[in-house]
Amino acid sequence: MQNVLNGIPLWWYLVVSSALFCIGLYGTLARKNAIALLMGVELMLNAANINLLAFWRYLAPDTAGGLAFAAFVLVVAAAEAAVGLALVISVYRTTRSIDPETLDQMKL
Amino acid sequence: MTVQQVLFIVISLVVLGAALFVVTTRNLFRAALMMMLAFFGIAGLFVLLEIGLFAVAQVLIYIGAISILVIFAVMLTRGMQGMVPRNSQAVGAAVTAAIIFAVLLLILGPLRVTIDLARWPVISLFAGNASPREVGGIAWTPADRAIPPVPETYIADFGRALVDLNQYLLPFLLIAFLVDVVLAGAIFIARQRRPAEVIEERRLRAEEDAEEAEAMRRASASPALPEGAVASAVDH
Repeated sequence: MQNVLNGIPLWWYLVVSSALFCIGLYGTLARKNAIALLMGVELMLNAANINLLAFWRYLAPDTAGGLAFAAFVLVVAAAEAAVGLALVISVYRTTRSIDPETLDQMKL
Repeated sequence: MTVQQVLFIVISLVVLGAALFVVTTRNLFRAALMMMLAFFGIAGLFVLLEIGLFAVAQVLIYIGAISILVIFAVMLTRGMQGMVPRNSQAVGAAVTAAIIFAVLLLILGPLRVTIDLARWPVISLFAGNASPREVGGIAWTPADRAIPPVPETYIADFGRALVDLNQYLLPFLLIAFLVDVVLAGAIFIARQRRPAEVIEERRLRAEEDAEEAEAMRRASASPALPEGAVASAVDH
C-alpha cells in the first residue's frame, strides 16, 4: 500500500502544490505592480492549503486538525487581501503609482 | 489510468498553466480572471480529495470574495495598465523559485513511494524515540494500511472541534478577532479623506513639486536643454 486514494498517490498533490508555490513566489518577487504581487501571495496560500488538506485526507481523516488549519489559512488569506488592496488603493490615491520599487518615501 | 487520475492530471495542468499566466501577463485584468480559473481548479482538486466542504468554501471565498476584491482594485488603479510586467530582479526571482522547487522535489524524493511518518525527517526529529503514531497524540493512518473514507459526519465534527475548549476554540476566537480588526483597519486605510485633509496634502505636494522643478531648472541651466523637455518634466 502506498498512500493511494482512487489511484492518486499523495506525492502527486505535493508536486502540484510545490510547483504552484514556486510560481506564486516568482510572481511575488518579480512583478512590477502591487496588485500582481498580492495575486502571487494568494497563489502561495492556496498551495499551502492543498498541502494541508491532502495530508489531512491521506494521513489523518478522523481528526479535525487539517481542516481547522486550512480554514485558518482561508481566513488569513481573505484578511490579507482586504488590507493589502486597501493599502494599494490608498497608495495609488496619494502617489498615482503602485510600483513597489518607486515607493521609497519611508526610506531614510 | 483511472478516471480520477486523468481528472487530476488535467486539473493540475489547468491550475499550473493559469498560475503561470497570472504571474507573466501584462494585462492585470486578464491575470485576475486567470487567477479565478486557478482557484476553480484548486476547488476541483479538493473534490478529488473528497472534501466537498472546502471545495464550496474555495468557490465562495476565493472566487466570490477575494477575486472580486482584486478585480475592484485593478479597476480603481486603471492608470497602471500595460506597463512592463517584470521588475529589475525578475531573473533572480526566477532562479530563486526554480531552486526552491528543486529543493522541495529533493525532499519529496525519498517519500515518493510511501509517505510513512517514521521516514518523514522533521517528524522523526521531534518524535525522538517515540513511535511516530504517538506524535501529537493523533492516530495517523500508517502507510501500509488502506486510507479510510472521510467520516460521514466530518463537517459536524469539524464544527464541534472549532468550539471545543480542548481543541481549536482559542485559535478560532483569535482568528475571529483578527478578521474584525483587519476589516476595520482596511476601511480606515481606504476611506475617502475629508476635503480639508486632501487640500492640505495637495498644497504640500505642490510645494514639493515646485522645489523639485527649481532644482531641475538650476541643474539644467548651463547645458542648453530644449525648453519643452523641462516643461514636460515639471508637468509630470
